[in-house]
Amino acid sequence: MNQREKEQYLREYMALKSAGKPFFPYAVAKDSLMACVVMAAIITMSLVLGAELGPKADPTTTTYTPRPEWYFFFLFELLRVIKPAELVPLATIGVPTICMILLFLLPFYDRGPERRPERRPIATATGIFVIAAMGFLTYKGAESGPPTQIDMPTPKAVIAQGPQFTALYEKGRQVVAQSGCEACHKFGDNGNDGPGPQLTHIAKNLPRQAIARTLVNPTAPMPSFQALQQKDPAKFNAMVTFLSQLK
Amino acid sequence: MPDRRITKSKYTADRGMPGAFDGETVTRRRFMTGTAHTAGAISASAFLLPALGFAMGPIFEKKEESWQDVGPVADFPDDNYVPKTITISSGIGEVGKSTVYMRKHNDAIDGKRKDEYDGFVAISTRCMHLGCPVSYKSAAQRFICPCHGGVYDFVGRVDGGPPVRPLDRFYTRIRNGQVQIGPRFSVNQELRRFSPRDPGEALDGIGQYLYPSRPSIRKIPNT
Amino acid sequence: MPKLKLPAPPLPPGFPKPAPKRPGTPKQKPLDVAAEAGMSVVDWVDERTSLSGGARWMMFRKVPKGTNWFYTLGSATMFAFLSQAVTGVFLAMYYRPDAGGGAYESMRHVNDDVFLGEFVHGMHKWGSSVMVILIFLHMARTFFFGAYKYPRELNWIIGVALLILTMAMSFTGYLLPFDQRSYWATIVGVNINGTGPLVGPYLSDFLRAGPEFGATTLSRFYAIHMMLIPGIIGALIGFHLYLVAKLGTTAPPWQKLPEQYRQVEEERA
Repeated sequence: MNQREKEQYLREYMALKSAGKPFFPYAVAKDSLMACVVMAAIITMSLVLGAELGPKADPTTTTYTPRPEWYFFFLFELLRVIKPAELVPLATIGVPTICMILLFLLPFYDRGPERRPERRPIATATGIFVIAAMGFLTYKGAESGPPTQIDMPTPKAVIAQGPQFTALYEKGRQVVAQSGCEACHKFGDNGNDGPGPQLTHIAKNLPRQAIARTLVNPTAPMPSFQALQQKDPAKFNAMVTFLSQLK
Repeated sequence: MPDRRITKSKYTADRGMPGAFDGETVTRRRFMTGTAHTAGAISASAFLLPALGFAMGPIFEKKEESWQDVGPVADFPDDNYVPKTITISSGIGEVGKSTVYMRKHNDAIDGKRKDEYDGFVAISTRCMHLGCPVSYKSAAQRFICPCHGGVYDFVGRVDGGPPVRPLDRFYTRIRNGQVQIGPRFSVNQELRRFSPRDPGEALDGIGQYLYPSRPSIRKIPNT
Repeated sequence: MPKLKLPAPPLPPGFPKPAPKRPGTPKQKPLDVAAEAGMSVVDWVDERTSLSGGARWMMFRKVPKGTNWFYTLGSATMFAFLSQAVTGVFLAMYYRPDAGGGAYESMRHVNDDVFLGEFVHGMHKWGSSVMVILIFLHMARTFFFGAYKYPRELNWIIGVALLILTMAMSFTGYLLPFDQRSYWATIVGVNINGTGPLVGPYLSDFLRAGPEFGATTLSRFYAIHMMLIPGIIGALIGFHLYLVAKLGTTAPPWQKLPEQYRQVEEERA
């Protein structure tokens, strides 16, 4: 904005302002009504949702799945998505710091006199993109289940084969969930997408025999489940049964 | 805006002040301005500096080296981990504790023993990505982190996900037939010992210089 | 004893002389007396502070034509902050920042035993979510309306600082109930600070008051949450408001100029 544009803005603003109404009571009335809405929202949430405490802090746990408050989900998901170890400082402090600096300096690199959003396509598009990205990351962070359980519904085909088979399937689900498979594989909403392939529909591509073979004799870095097959064949069988039903 | 860059000469004589003499630069007003600034700065720093030092003190305080019993030698196999609870910071009860996974040193996996402190492998349950609690899955022989998807192999080296270095370990020794667990130390990808670092701080490459060791916690010298 | 009558004090020039009582003047009713007393208290304060000028400047300034409901988001955020401050003070009356079990125990006591305890705790807890949402909406409004441009650049910068401080408030706040989520979120948060090259390790030592989570970590977060950040937020809100009143709120960017002004502007061009 050069001097002429600055002066023109101030003139226009003075004209609009002199055509306006006093802050009190016209704007204050709106503000106070809004404050009532805000308080109604807070009180309703407090009454409906309460303020339950979680379990007491326990640093010795090995089973708890830490999750942040919802408004930090976008940061949480950012940390999950950025996988390579060299890029960890970028995810933890790099990206947030850069975003903060960009926010602080916004009035200094966006100096155009135009204020209407439809005539500032770059700024408007960037703003919408940032909001969409944060919304998307928040959504992804919110729905990521703990990697020690699999929340997929039991398929109808399994239930149709009788309660015994269903029990075997459920046992297999438990074994798979507790064996750490989800560290590298994704099952529905649980687990990490990579480095291993998604297993949500693995049985479509691999028959039962092939799944068992892969578990015993996998390609690195996947660990072999040969020890499990020899020590506890029932568990191994349940695992293969579960995986071969993921269609 | 008036242009403030026009400077007058710093000599009082040049500015035509009454009573000025050659070479004088400090007027009474300048002297009083300086006094106001200096006295203000001294009085403000008189409460700011001690407060700051008070808050920063813990950075330079060295943590005591302590050893605690975790059980007899026979408790620990050499091909599987046993979880043990130890106290990390005293005085706050349960919250000062942590879990370690322990097993006996196994020459086939860990190589030859180096000194008296590595008769047992004691692996910390702090994920080296950002400190979440990892758990050991014996079926997969992996340590799994529930937060951001870190995976470690049987000896604690990074197998996948974002962690920057292998899981931290603890010094161990045997006293009177009891296995004792001592201070924590960090390891790099070759399992060389380093002074303890916080999670998220890499030790390979330039990592160990980017994240210096802190005066508050050090490894046992010469180990 | 003869009645002593003091002469009336001389009035300074310009002061209106009190009108002498006339017969037929209606008698003052108690309500009128009360109203007059109220007014004279206000006058008494104003005579000594001259605050009425400032209040008039703040309250009776004009807001531009077209000011709509989007412009209530800022004051709503401030209102949420006030609600947080008040509920926070009352929670502090019951809270004990003791990591050895006292903190969790005191919050359990607030929830289960104290009259309206869970309600106030809930207001504080959900109020933080509401405040975060409102501050983001307020920022989005400012961004899309181009309200951060000349002459309001400094107000945008203060606003960003307030946003960051609000996020810091929510972060330091949720360690305090000391349940599992609090504990692990704090561990992760402190370690995030620790990944800053060179200074990171010292920064996380400073936040934790030592190399491990210890006895004074919780009280440190408590002091930061209770006093340090709210103090800074309060001061910045004051400055933010002063600039809003001084520079005026923007008009919506679509707002048409008044007819007579447009003619003047066309003549200029």
